[in-house]
Amino acid sequence: MKRPAYRFLPNVALADVAFSARGDTPEALFEACAAALTEVMVDRRGVRRVTTREVSVRARDIDTLLYDFLTELIVLKDVDSLLFKTFAAHISHDQRRMECTMSGETIDRKRHRLRNDVKAVTMHLFGVSHERGVWRATVVLDI
Amino acid sequence: MPVPPQTKQITDTVWEIPPTYKEGMKVPARLYATKKLLEGMDQGVIEQVTNVASLPGIQRYSYAMADAHWGYGFPIGGVAAFDPEQGVISPGGIGFDINCGMRLIRTNLRFAEVKPKVKELVDMLFQLVPTGVGVKGFVKVNQSSFEDVMRWGVKWCGENGYGWEEDAKMVEEGGFIKGADPAKVSRQASSRGIQQLGTLGSGNHYLEIQVVDPGRFFDPKMGKNFGLVDEDQVVVMIHCGSRGFGHQIGSDYLRVFDGAMKRYGITVRDRELACAPFSSKEGQDYYGAMVCAANMAFANRQVIVHRVREAFQKVFRRDPEALDMHIIYDVCHNIAKVERHALDGATRDLVVHRKGATRSFGPGHPDIPSRYRQMGQPVIIGGSMETGSYLLVGTAKAMTDTFGSTAHGSGRTMSRTAARREISGEALQKSMEKRGIYVKAATYDGLAEEAGVAYKDISEVVETMHSAGISLKVAALRPIGNIKG
Repeated sequence: MKRPAYRFLPNVALADVAFSARGDTPEALFEACAAALTEVMVDRRGVRRVTTREVSVRARDIDTLLYDFLTELIVLKDVDSLLFKTFAAHISHDQRRMECTMSGETIDRKRHRLRNDVKAVTMHLFGVSHERGVWRATVVLDI
Repeated sequence: MPVPPQTKQITDTVWEIPPTYKEGMKVPARLYATKKLLEGMDQGVIEQVTNVASLPGIQRYSYAMADAHWGYGFPIGGVAAFDPEQGVISPGGIGFDINCGMRLIRTNLRFAEVKPKVKELVDMLFQLVPTGVGVKGFVKVNQSSFEDVMRWGVKWCGENGYGWEEDAKMVEEGGFIKGADPAKVSRQASSRGIQQLGTLGSGNHYLEIQVVDPGRFFDPKMGKNFGLVDEDQVVVMIHCGSRGFGHQIGSDYLRVFDGAMKRYGITVRDRELACAPFSSKEGQDYYGAMVCAANMAFANRQVIVHRVREAFQKVFRRDPEALDMHIIYDVCHNIAKVERHALDGATRDLVVHRKGATRSFGPGHPDIPSRYRQMGQPVIIGGSMETGSYLLVGTAKAMTDTFGSTAHGSGRTMSRTAARREISGEALQKSMEKRGIYVKAATYDGLAEEAGVAYKDISEVVETMHSAGISLKVAALRPIGNIKG
């Protein structure tokens, strides 16, 4: 059963925003991280599922896969003004490829409760781990 | 924070942690702080400044300025210089917001003239300068002209109608750094940046109307050199950087360096310290791309200046020239540059990283605009939107002690998450208005995160740098109007 979850870490990297996320599967972890990242930019409750995008990422390991996936979400925010409400990820067995189907909409400055314009995913404390059946990641975002 | 027991007090404002503190430290760490500021620094600063001291080719000291706080990789408020042959370049020592910096513009208006119009002026600026998440810039460029922006920075702006002929001279490096290489910039970075020329951003970025604070015009003679002649004189301060363009270049090369370090036999204590020899292909590629972002940031602040002049013209119905809206100066505070410094009895090129730190070159330096050369460069220290900012001047002591560097702002003491939990943006806006600061923000959450209580006391930071002699106070600048993302 997928159980996406994240929590913000108020006492890490004061000028920026840090969160930890967990999931019972790598997919659940990636989806939780994507939700947390989006929540930093907008109150996701107000984002509607108007448009669907698919992203495909390849990387040398699962850490870099997560880094590139989250960076892609930031790029889509800047280039196409897109923010997403839902994420459905699929990660290959060797953990070097992922596809994610995402539903959301273009930024509406009147309707959306916008928050921070995330600059980048940092590698400070960054990493994916898998212990006792739980996938975890810590992410610090540059604000 | 418990100060490590090995810490030596060098002067009232300088502290040193010896290389014995941590395995691998190549040089001591030096912290600029009063005892109070030192004890208030978070644990991350000590860990990070000593981690930086372990990087290959670091020269003399790893520095943390008085505004230092926990960043990623380097502390924010960190300075480190590296040998160009034996040393490294590190994106984490620059920050993702490449050439984030401050620009200060003067006017000949006084507070009494602006006060009745401050709301109109702030509303006009908010309308003319896009702020916040996902906004597009007001300058439309294609890929070819965007590459010209990468190469020529403020010079491009002048040639395309966004500024005055003299503007570029009043910007650090004359408005563009040589060595930009657009071929080293990814398509993703260009596609993020091309739409953002002329945007302020969010977080701690702002555009602020300020006055020379009565009773705190510390050095009127020096101020006059910079065009500040009176208490209550109105100035405008801009704080922003290279937007998504620089952020993407930082992200792209962090990945490259993370993979390349093995090849060069480099290990670091924090992945965010990923680095490569400055002289390596990866190091040179990053430098060429970083300079593109630095020049874009200079251009971004320049086109915003153009809009600021327009806003004043519309509100006061006078030409910007008649309002004397000249640029006092523009400083980078997230950058690595090749600079010549005296070291061990010789003058050498060094790759100086300043992450949340400002250049503070002293009198006579050839890189200072001729108009200011005899007295030292203006140093612009941006504070929180509630507590104000400072104009200082660089010194000869900064050249000998800190590779010509000083602090950049006040430094956070409270995380964004904690600030948002504890402070109401709406209540803060009302309270600021009662205190004579009219602020217009893209979001209340963003406003709450930037409350003055989330920052160190800027006056203590500035006093520390002044006492240490690495930048000297000229004037305190009090906010009266502010727009932020």
